Amino acid sequence: MMRTTRVLQAADEGPLELEPIITALSAQFAVATGSKQIVRRVRLDTFDRLLGAAGLALEHQTVEVRETAVRDTGERLVLSRPDGSSTVAVSVKNLRWPALVDVLPSGPVRDAIAPVIGIRALMVVSDERRRLRRLDLRNEDRKIVARVELDEPASHTAVAASPAQLTVRRLRGYEEQARRADRLLVGLGLHAVGHGEDGEPGSAQKASVTDRGIPARELLSAALSEFLVTMRENLPGLLADVDTEFLHDFRVSVRRTRATLKLGRPVLPEVMRSHWEPAFRSLGDLTTPVRDLDVYQLDLPAMRLWLVTADPADLDLLAAYLRRRRAVARRALVRSLRSVTFRRMLTEWGGELATLMDTPEETDLEPLSAGQLADRSISRVYRRVVRGGAGIGADSPAQDLHWLRKRCKELRYALEVFAPLIDHAARKRAVADLKSLQDVLGRFQDTEVQRRAMRGFAEEMMAEGTTAGAVLAMGELIGHLDVEQDRARREFDAAFGRFERPSSLQLMHRLGGVR
Amino acid sequence: MRVLATYNIKGGVGKTSTAVNLAYLAAREGRRTLLWDLDPQAAATYMFRVRPRVKGGSHALVTRKRPIEEALKATDFENLDLLPADFSYRNMDLELDDTKKRTRRLGQLLDSVAADYDMVFLDCPPSISLVSENVLHASDTLLVPLIPATLSLRTLDQLTRFVADSQGSRPEVVAFFSMADRRKRLHRDVIDAIPRDRTRVADTVIPALSIIEQMAVRRAPVPAFAPTSRAAQCYEQLWAEVCPR
Repeated sequence: MMRTTRVLQAADEGPLELEPIITALSAQFAVATGSKQIVRRVRLDTFDRLLGAAGLALEHQTVEVRETAVRDTGERLVLSRPDGSSTVAVSVKNLRWPALVDVLPSGPVRDAIAPVIGIRALMVVSDERRRLRRLDLRNEDRKIVARVELDEPASHTAVAASPAQLTVRRLRGYEEQARRADRLLVGLGLHAVGHGEDGEPGSAQKASVTDRGIPARELLSAALSEFLVTMRENLPGLLADVDTEFLHDFRVSVRRTRATLKLGRPVLPEVMRSHWEPAFRSLGDLTTPVRDLDVYQLDLPAMRLWLVTADPADLDLLAAYLRRRRAVARRALVRSLRSVTFRRMLTEWGGELATLMDTPEETDLEPLSAGQLADRSISRVYRRVVRGGAGIGADSPAQDLHWLRKRCKELRYALEVFAPLIDHAARKRAVADLKSLQDVLGRFQDTEVQRRAMRGFAEEMMAEGTTAGAVLAMGELIGHLDVEQDRARREFDAAFGRFERPSSLQLMHRLGGVR
Repeated sequence: MRVLATYNIKGGVGKTSTAVNLAYLAAREGRRTLLWDLDPQAAATYMFRVRPRVKGGSHALVTRKRPIEEALKATDFENLDLLPADFSYRNMDLELDDTKKRTRRLGQLLDSVAADYDMVFLDCPPSISLVSENVLHASDTLLVPLIPATLSLRTLDQLTRFVADSQGSRPEVVAFFSMADRRKRLHRDVIDAIPRDRTRVADTVIPALSIIEQMAVRRAPVPAFAPTSRAAQCYEQLWAEVCPR
């Protein structure tokens, strides 16, 4: 199996001649040259580079030209694993990108990447035509003990992502032979290069603000600008419906923007409250119908497993209904997001952020530092969460829990926005405690909403003349949601108790959340 | 990680050819595959052009003085590694006898590389021994090549009883006919008459073909050097029947 590799190139990154390379290697090995191939190499990853983060590299390689006829499909997926080994899936045909993992043939490549990328689509990260020439280095038993691959741009006129390179691949158990080959190539004047990974969209380094004394506006401006970048990055994928996470990430940025505007009220200009807060609330509302329908569609496979008496196939009509509804909702969303009004909104928001630091502070506003605003915001929201949670009793209506959930989200966003100012480890533990409370409240609220929605879907489907089987199956789903909601409600006291325990209180002291 | 052992009490029935060809096919599908040549005769090791030597020998492996990873060798084929044979494997029974959990040690050794491989093939020496007991415990599937002869059926009976009598988890036993010559009436009769109620018998029959014997000359699996041959197709069919999904 292939082990780690070393990549070499000419000092001037120029073309590499094969003959001197073969001559040099022949001093110690029997060198067999493989056929010359022109290969289209399409590097794939998700938008947020989940494969790269997991140390995996996936390529869709298509052999376009080869010197001699070799029996294979000419098209394959190559997955390189973190240990340098590779997995090849043969018989790949007619794959088009972007695409979800379901389009891959079942087998080890799909098995390896499905848990990593989940519901995210594979997209093209780079697309290059390369000329490949493989050299097998054999010992006296004619056993291959190392491989060298000459990989160069297919056309010298084309602008290539990387120059001509020689890759020395070590084979397990024959590491010394690869080192010898490497030494011979270095003797030719080649030098080793590192493999740099592409930067991730949306992963722009967060401003490492650590000075609590900087103006609060500076911190807020940086955070809001970052959310705007994320919105813009996700917009093309959202409009093209590449996968459901583009809309989800877009909405998260909108929610974070809204929360930051609210937290920043003491230091931000009035226009933020009077104009931009409602504008982003409307934008969030605009995206809600499609997101809700996405969630139902994503949950449907799990919902089928909930059924005890009904047949899972009875939910096929619900699936078709959801698809129709989503198509209608998406058309409306896309129309709005392609509109002049929306484009103008983003442009104006960008302009607002660009001039935020230059806008004079209004006289009645307190000149708060970032640290002071962080302490005040975290403290205020934390107190509201504690008061709200303490007021939840056995008979509290669902809207009280919903209100508390929203406050928890505000606290979470406050901890994120002010993250550069606060102790990382303490923040991490505080978020963990908060997250378990949010999980319980989220399950409670989601089941509440889903129950009502499911009833609404059933009524509309009945009006359209759906089958009794479909309605009965949906009834079972509502019953299951009832049970889940009860369970979440029972878990609330324990989750809130953990959040409120003395150690959490101490954490909040350290974060400035208790005054 | 799934473990498949080619095993028979008798020698010369096609265990090594089967292990080598199926391991190659598994690797060709993209499964990270290891073949452990447990037979001190080292035929599988020879076919992959690897030298039959493990530093420290059987003793170092069994006693874990040397990690199994250090003995692994890449073959000429992508995704396919070999744990070579060593002449000292002839004493592996004695080494195993001196260890704790002496019937589980090979399985424990394989556990240490479980994260690196999707499939492991064990090419076993022909015998009933402590090595065989270890193989039973380490394997998910015991693939038993049978030459279509009356005595082979008796051997299969013995082997099935051996597996049934073993303690703990037992592998699935899958028998198949190997080196079959349909021109011979006896072969046809035995293939038709084998009882299929107690032991799973694969539908694929591997014929006696000279190209399979050429593996030792070409030092490569049949599907690698003769991909369109009948023998390659037969091994592909057999793999399709026995490969884990």
